[in-house]
Amino acid sequence: MAIMMPASDQAVLARRAEIVAALRAIVPGEGVIDSASEMRVYESDGLTAYRQPPMVVVLPDTTEQVSLVLKYCAGQGIKVVPRGSGTSLSGGALPLEDGVLLGLGKFKRIREIDFDNRVVVTEPGVTNLAISQAVAHAGFYYAPDPSSQIACSIGGNVAENSGGVHCLKYGMTTNNVLGCEIVLMSGEILRIGGKGCENSGYDLMGVITGSEGLLGVITEITVRILQKPETARALMVGFAEVEAAGECVARIIGAGIIPGGMEMMDKPAIHAAEAFVHAGYPLDVEALLIIELDGPKIEVDELITRVETIANACGSTTCQISTSEAERNLFWAGRKAAFPAVGRISPDYLCMDGTIPRGALPKALARIRELSEKYQLGCANVFHAGDGNLHPLILYDANKEGEIERAEAFGADILRACVEFGGVLTGEHGVGIEKRDLMPEMFTEIDLNQQQRLKCAFDAQGLLNPGKVFPTLHRCAELGRMHVHAGKLAFPDIPRF
Amino acid sequence: MDTLKVRDAKDVEEVVRAAIANEQPLEIIGHGSKRSIGHAMATNAVLDVSALNAVTSYEPNELIVTLQAGAPLADVLSLIDAKNQQFAFEPMNTAPLLGAPALGTIGGMIAAGLAGPRRIRAGGARDHLLGAHAVSGFGDSFKTGGKVVKNVTGYDLCKLLAGSWGTLSVMTEVTLKVMPKPEAERTLLLHGLDDATANKAMTAALGSPFDVSGAAHLPKSAFRTRTDGLGDIAGQGEALTMLRLEGIAASAAHRAGSLRELLAPFGTATLVEDVASAAAWATVRDVLPFAASGALGAWPVWRIVCPPASGAALGTQLARETGGEVIYDWGGGLIWAALPPNGDAHASAVRERANATGGHATLIRAAEDVRRGVDVFHPQAPGVAALSERVRASFDPKIILNRGRLTRGAAA
Repeated sequence: MAIMMPASDQAVLARRAEIVAALRAIVPGEGVIDSASEMRVYESDGLTAYRQPPMVVVLPDTTEQVSLVLKYCAGQGIKVVPRGSGTSLSGGALPLEDGVLLGLGKFKRIREIDFDNRVVVTEPGVTNLAISQAVAHAGFYYAPDPSSQIACSIGGNVAENSGGVHCLKYGMTTNNVLGCEIVLMSGEILRIGGKGCENSGYDLMGVITGSEGLLGVITEITVRILQKPETARALMVGFAEVEAAGECVARIIGAGIIPGGMEMMDKPAIHAAEAFVHAGYPLDVEALLIIELDGPKIEVDELITRVETIANACGSTTCQISTSEAERNLFWAGRKAAFPAVGRISPDYLCMDGTIPRGALPKALARIRELSEKYQLGCANVFHAGDGNLHPLILYDANKEGEIERAEAFGADILRACVEFGGVLTGEHGVGIEKRDLMPEMFTEIDLNQQQRLKCAFDAQGLLNPGKVFPTLHRCAELGRMHVHAGKLAFPDIPRF
Repeated sequence: MDTLKVRDAKDVEEVVRAAIANEQPLEIIGHGSKRSIGHAMATNAVLDVSALNAVTSYEPNELIVTLQAGAPLADVLSLIDAKNQQFAFEPMNTAPLLGAPALGTIGGMIAAGLAGPRRIRAGGARDHLLGAHAVSGFGDSFKTGGKVVKNVTGYDLCKLLAGSWGTLSVMTEVTLKVMPKPEAERTLLLHGLDDATANKAMTAALGSPFDVSGAAHLPKSAFRTRTDGLGDIAGQGEALTMLRLEGIAASAAHRAGSLRELLAPFGTATLVEDVASAAAWATVRDVLPFAASGALGAWPVWRIVCPPASGAALGTQLARETGGEVIYDWGGGLIWAALPPNGDAHASAVRERANATGGHATLIRAAEDVRRGVDVFHPQAPGVAALSERVRASFDPKIILNRGRLTRGAAA
């Protein structure tokens, strides 16, 4: 394992039997799992290159049990790793050898559907898609739609601030969550926000969202729901050059059009997807855009025409417009299956997740081609073009000596390039363990210390999901120390009034 | 009292460091347009960021603008308007309500986080702040977020800065999302509805697929003050329920037609377009019926946020109980209440009503002696208050920045 996790606490490991018994006293029956074979399913999340069996798995089914488990662990100095459905692509739910894995899988109930206030109150183990399904009969849906929406839990979505194809227009998780019940590492249960548009005081909901399971364990969530748009249509546009496709994206946005989704695939991704799902993708283009417009029919028809005109002006070589739901779904089928499609052409792949300013797309793709040469590994690119979120899929074979290391080095260079071009390390997958050691590429020690001080406000012992997000762990007392800058006791010599 | 007009982030660091060393708390101001909101502060020097007023970069095609925190909001709005873009959260102009002279700065806009009618569709200031450079109460410059719309790298400290009223850090530079302005707007007006019926009409509209971007209700009594923005609309002096549709012209007109049919049980809706519609929404956004210069100018004003469907019950009861006036925005989820002056601005009635719905209330306008005896910001449950205090301490352990603004008695 290339990533160093915090050293295991041997004293804790030595007390394993006692800890298991104590957890069983809190969560009876099958809610505590300690056999090696049954724990195997929990040893990894969606970042399967990393595996580590936990010390013990606990699956509470009430908030009170979560509270008691955390309180017990806090009192005993035992680390805890929370887990939803385990679909994280950044290793956010990777267990620790000396840690309790706290699974929220039993929190599967939707507690309230409130159409008048346009919210759903749900437990965290409910899948993203199940929320939309529960309100579909009234024409509503929950907007953020990560590709794993069939499996990923809403609790995990909040922890990771998940995005999806439609977040350019409808926002990420953070823009669609109103409140939560959260249990702190101390066992304290707090309610933040509610059914109103805004919370009072500091926006704690905002900072809990995307905190990757380091600040607390969420046991209930209130999400906004929206009415489904009347209709949606898509264009599938091919370009002989990536630059032209990038220009087309910029001009669409520049014309004031915010599509429901705007995706780009490069040639290797197009070929892999076409071979897998036969969506009718053109094979002789360098870049393919799938642009979806949604809203009232009259608006969609008008915008389709405008986008088509822009695409033609940018030199598109092919342009198909969906005329039926079946056709629209076919356009998307290849894009949605891009990851498994790439899985068919390569024994293994690493999925990266950087964001760049839209305008930097051509130079980012050029850099990726150079790096592909350098590392002698293939790379297929799919790209949420509308918001600059790049997903290079690095192809490698784990059974070949040294390939995984090369693939990881390739990925790290791509993310460094994203930062160099004015972007960020991760757009929607999270830092987890995967990008943890790259954080200094984007943040100074002062920046990271401020973030870690915030962590201390929620979890002063640093027991909740340690080893994720931050490359270096500091004690809270050390972070809180005020360095008085000597010799500067007077206000500086600047204009006064 | 010293006012220190900082020229760059380095100055801010030095002023904060000196303040730490001298244990001398600072009041942070831009134009001072919202200075009267909050409690009197225990500060003995002013850090003025209004000279940090540059536009760092504006990239319309990337939908972002990066600004120094002291940039005047009015100038920035003109800048992005020239490219047909806007801040989609419709920042409120607090000047008429507070009787303050200026629109304020970008930093103030974010620190107050007061979003307008489109909040229900587009989110608030917190949803549009993508990145920030700021100086913490440790005297250190740090950055959070970035210059792209999609970013989950590290904790989202931007969310904390938005709405922090200058208590956590001094923002020096911010990156904000901008959005295209809609080509057209149409507003349907329902006339003469009581609050409860209006709330039902707004709920029906917001639960429709017609993408309503504003839903407000002005009860009849709200027209006690002449409100120019409403023009002829307010002519009859009857209650008005407003529902806004925006987008390309054909779409806005089409949806207005569909929504009018849906709302037929609530009466025959009339329609205003574009300029007249925009003026009407500015009236709601800036709460002009309660303007400082108007008939209710001396009345304290509360801003109450609650679950939207509970709005009318809360507002009606509060108005009846206190003899006050209310107007509703956000489909009922935001109530502006102007209440007859008394010693505590009717705080216990307001808070009791707000708590009963799971909402919260902020005393936006009141004389200083009233604010001394009332919690301006909604008291939080003890656990949340304690966590918030630890969060504040993680940014500013010596309480150097805007000491006492958020908490009654803390200045002592």
